[in-house]
Amino acid sequence: MTAFEPKIIALVCNWCAYTAADLAGTSRLSYPAHIRMIRMMCTGMIDSKYILKAFLDGADGVFVGGCHPGDCHYIDGNLKAKKRILGTGKILEQFGFEPERLRLRWIGASEGPEFQQNMTDFVTAIKTLGPGQTNNRMVL
Amino acid sequence: MLQHDKPKIGVYICHCGMNIAPKVDVEEVVRYSQTLDHVAVARDYEFMCSNPGQELIVNDIKTYGLNRIVEASCSPRMHEATFQKACEQAGLNPYYLQMANIREQSSWVTLDTIEATAKAKDLVAAAVMRVVWHAPLETREVAVKKSVLIIGGGIAGMQAALTTAEAGFDVHLVEREPSIGGQMAKLDKTFPTLDCAACISTPKTVSIGQHPNITLYTYSEVTHVSGFVGNYEVTLRRKPRYVIEDKCTGCGDCTEVCPIGMVSTFDEGLSERKAVYRSFPQAVPATFCIDKKGTAPCKAACPAHVAVQGFIALIRAGKNRQALELFKQEHPFPGVCGRICHHPCESICSRGDTGGPLAIRSLHRFLADEDLYGESQYVPAVEEKREEKVAVVGAGPAGLTCAYFLAQKGYQATVFEKLPVAGGMMAVGIPEYRLPKDILEIEIETIEKMGVTIKTGVTFGTDITLNGMKNDGFKAAFLATGLHGSRKLGVEGEDLQGVLPGVAFLKDVALGKPPALGPKVVVVGGGNVAVDVALTAKRLGAEAVTMVCLESREEMPAWENEIEELLEEKVEIINCFGPNRFAGTGGIVSGIEFKRCTCVFDADGCFSPEYDPTELQVLPADTVIVAIGQTAVLDFAPAEDIPVEPHGGIEADPVTLQTSIPWVFAGGDAVYGPKSVVEAVACGKEAAESIHRFINDIDLTEGRSTEWTFSKPEITAVPPIARTAMKRLEPEKREGNFNEILLGFSQDQIAGEAGRCLNCGGCSECMQCVKACEVMAVDHDMQEEVLNLEIGALIIATGYKPFDPTPLEQYGYGRFTEVYTSMQFERLNNATGPTGGKIVMKNGRPPRRVAIIHCVGSRDLRHRKYCSRVCCMYSMKFAHLIREKTDAEVWEFYIDIRAPGKLYEEFYNRVQEEGVHFVRGKVAEVTDIPEDPADKGRLIVVAENTLTRRTLRMPVDMVILSVGLEPAEGSEEIGRITGVSRDQDGWFNELHAKLAPVSTPVRGIFLAGCCQGPKDIPDTVAQSLGAAGEAIALLSKGTVRTRAAISYIDPDLCAGCQSCIQICAYSAIHFDAAQSISKVNEALCQGCGSCSAVCPSSAAGVRHFTNRQVMGEIEALLW
Repeated sequence: MTAFEPKIIALVCNWCAYTAADLAGTSRLSYPAHIRMIRMMCTGMIDSKYILKAFLDGADGVFVGGCHPGDCHYIDGNLKAKKRILGTGKILEQFGFEPERLRLRWIGASEGPEFQQNMTDFVTAIKTLGPGQTNNRMVL
Repeated sequence: MLQHDKPKIGVYICHCGMNIAPKVDVEEVVRYSQTLDHVAVARDYEFMCSNPGQELIVNDIKTYGLNRIVEASCSPRMHEATFQKACEQAGLNPYYLQMANIREQSSWVTLDTIEATAKAKDLVAAAVMRVVWHAPLETREVAVKKSVLIIGGGIAGMQAALTTAEAGFDVHLVEREPSIGGQMAKLDKTFPTLDCAACISTPKTVSIGQHPNITLYTYSEVTHVSGFVGNYEVTLRRKPRYVIEDKCTGCGDCTEVCPIGMVSTFDEGLSERKAVYRSFPQAVPATFCIDKKGTAPCKAACPAHVAVQGFIALIRAGKNRQALELFKQEHPFPGVCGRICHHPCESICSRGDTGGPLAIRSLHRFLADEDLYGESQYVPAVEEKREEKVAVVGAGPAGLTCAYFLAQKGYQATVFEKLPVAGGMMAVGIPEYRLPKDILEIEIETIEKMGVTIKTGVTFGTDITLNGMKNDGFKAAFLATGLHGSRKLGVEGEDLQGVLPGVAFLKDVALGKPPALGPKVVVVGGGNVAVDVALTAKRLGAEAVTMVCLESREEMPAWENEIEELLEEKVEIINCFGPNRFAGTGGIVSGIEFKRCTCVFDADGCFSPEYDPTELQVLPADTVIVAIGQTAVLDFAPAEDIPVEPHGGIEADPVTLQTSIPWVFAGGDAVYGPKSVVEAVACGKEAAESIHRFINDIDLTEGRSTEWTFSKPEITAVPPIARTAMKRLEPEKREGNFNEILLGFSQDQIAGEAGRCLNCGGCSECMQCVKACEVMAVDHDMQEEVLNLEIGALIIATGYKPFDPTPLEQYGYGRFTEVYTSMQFERLNNATGPTGGKIVMKNGRPPRRVAIIHCVGSRDLRHRKYCSRVCCMYSMKFAHLIREKTDAEVWEFYIDIRAPGKLYEEFYNRVQEEGVHFVRGKVAEVTDIPEDPADKGRLIVVAENTLTRRTLRMPVDMVILSVGLEPAEGSEEIGRITGVSRDQDGWFNELHAKLAPVSTPVRGIFLAGCCQGPKDIPDTVAQSLGAAGEAIALLSKGTVRTRAAISYIDPDLCAGCQSCIQICAYSAIHFDAAQSISKVNEALCQGCGSCSAVCPSSAAGVRHFTNRQVMGEIEALLW
């Protein structure tokens, strides 16, 4: 049997975590290839249904990367996201997913090493959890 | 513009030379792309961003009729604009492009080739799925404001301001400090050319001050930035400098007279400056500035708000007369209150925590006594005499104060007093051993000298009436009749002969008609009046005086020092008993029976005594004096139609003191119950203000209820100095006379006591500067000003602050006086600095050997890990200057010498040739413990020379710590306000480390100087010119393109729930009531997408980040 290779979606803010990912790249800080990144303009625009969609389509984990509190490019979109992500975690449980599969972290634009660390940690965490399985399918 | 129904996608995979290709199997990605739906063409090329690469796309669009492009290469933050331009060139809307970031997200960060290729394929597939749903978007050109705002007036901000102003733009330069020049203004020489910093920077500061296109806002801060590129709205807060810029001539007369010395931050704490100051002689603007830290606690706590810190400062300056004048501006009775005030100022005094509060009361007593017993008494100036007459009823402190302030305004005030003497309770309630009669009399005489008429023996209600006053032409009346009745106990036998009311007893004694007392006197009550009754009885010859009160010793309302006087004068105190009944024979009192009081106050702290009637005690007495409180005597009220409160006081507005009869005002104890003299003074002052407003038809309430807030200084490092104790008359010398107990301070004592003041408020508001300023430029009431500016572009030039070496305890900064920071040494060496440019130690002697320790706080994992870039060079500059000015040896302790600038290495060589010693090694410690007794008193630098591998202990006279640079104080706040992010060390982030070093991720906001990272002056100026150039380039065009990726609301889907309106941080959505839907204001929308995430009906969305587009990406990534 082959080892479990998780599929992970990262929804990241253009102004901070995405820039940090670019910096990680420029600095050649490698991290597991399981991460698939989607650029958002702000974590505040991340609709819960994007996260649910990702899980229902087979993602084993979803990472949301936003700006540190106080650093949001759009005043407080990151804090709005924090509230929403908390709520989304509760919905996930109803679908049979462990809420730990959804992780929100603040990563500043200059924090390339932190980005690398976060990706590595999250992949390890998801590998420990094993594949995500739903008990309640729906189409989004 | 081509319109397409069916997507026809071209996919282009970039090799990026060797950056993508070997790690990602590009051919495989091309092959895979060709299998994807809607993909018409898929190609790879070595450098897609090159001209031939872009032409490939342009030709394919034309040849194959492509209507979507996927570019798989580097980050869109790098080349999205490049490829969008290529699309436009071929006639395709640029928003039909999607990039797959297979370099930063795959080839550069994935170790395994197969994994990297798989990830690249996924990213391309996601981009293809997404681009299918792309739509053409249009942007608009909007006009820009031709103005630039620059935050920070250091060399970076000044250079940027001059350059943009020269280009013809309106420049607004904002500086937090009172003058511009920044850190460079503090420097003496600059490396490596050794030009004088002032000589090269003052021409710039002067030009700033004179340039017609530059508006300078010093002592100001940016508080808010909104809007978007080309059209920012900026809010400025102009702090009050209390000196009017247009009037101040910079003559410095104010500084001459200012009595307050404060630590000079400009001189890095090495010298003192006055509270009214200018940082350095050539400062721009030349306007002075008053340093107020807020109202001092003493002034705030004083009910009359006497400028306590001010008069104390004047005492310290030896200006006793001016100190008294200042006191009398707010309060007519410095002598009276100097004896009997309950001094809330002392209770709150910051010295209370370090040696005991200042004896403030005794200080102004001294001033008053000196004046009263002097040759000519100070009489406050009176304005031009006015026709209006004002009647004051009651010559107590409230009434007299009211008359005092009315007289100053020129009114003709007449005070009517029922008693044969003026002064109210000050005259008949306070015994002479506390307040000698002559003091009070002279202070009242002063009021009469100001034009106030006092008529004694006139009873209101009988001798005079309100109607009579009106007929006599009085425009207003102030009733301050006080509390001259005694409260009764209401127990059996109170009418017996020999039972006296306390207030009446004191009054009779004061008026020279002391009642006959028996040998045994019992005083009922535990307050200050009871104490005075007991002590007065004792002085009148009573053999035994016993005081009985309900309260326990700790609960007694009398002040502690007065209770001590009771004990000193052998008055017996019986606590926790309340009167039950009086006993008497033949109508004459013979004793009094007490019952045990078990509890005086209820759970809420209200007076509600409970007794144990079984425990009784009988005291034989010849005289019993009941001193349990005062009441108002308002016999006149019913006839005069004056409303009375249920509790027995006159009814008046608590702020304006106006009664229901508009021209009649009331105040003092008669209104609010028993309070102290200073509270009556405060009330009388308010009454005068109300009456002045009433007579002149000014709104009575406007601006009246001032909240007095205050600030206390940090006093952890202030050594305690004990409060000066006052000499008192020995108890045995008090018997049988009314001589004053407290004997006052001597001139030496008041100087010592005034010297303990901590100057809590900074400026003491002593008003000497107001008097000294000939052009009347000082305005202590200046208020903060808020300004709104329309700005096209911003330049942040907030600079740096030197690292504080206090945490590096091993270097002894703050412990040893001869350990300096580099900035302190700059001041020490500066012609305008504390020593006039002489390099000398605190003892005035030049050092024989100086150690300079490099990298303090820099290149240190425990503090700042970066190199601060300027320290090596300025350290060597110091070495050169020390060698030039003194005979001292200089030892530089370095880790590495970094001299990578034009002529820098040459300077290093020069300094080496000048005989400066270089030791490669970090200093372990600076100590004052020598191994050789001959070195006692010197500092010992302990270090390892890593080149010779020897440790050394070097005795030196002076140590300079070459501290690193940190982001300026408040950078975080500026980052928050402007939306420009900062790196882990707090420096502002540039858009691109190499190719956009002065731009930020926020369009239209640029960076200049050290706010972006440590730099020397040449680099700072170069970067400022760059930032100015960017700003000029942006604004010269006159227009900017609006963003296209903003929100929209589908009117067919919107349910009008308005969730989006609530969440929008920019107020960019409004509700259209007619259509019952929400609508986006495209000029305000920033495209954050918060609305799209909350919209329950998916009506709100963000263009270019639609649900379809994002979902498409998610789907493709999870195949």
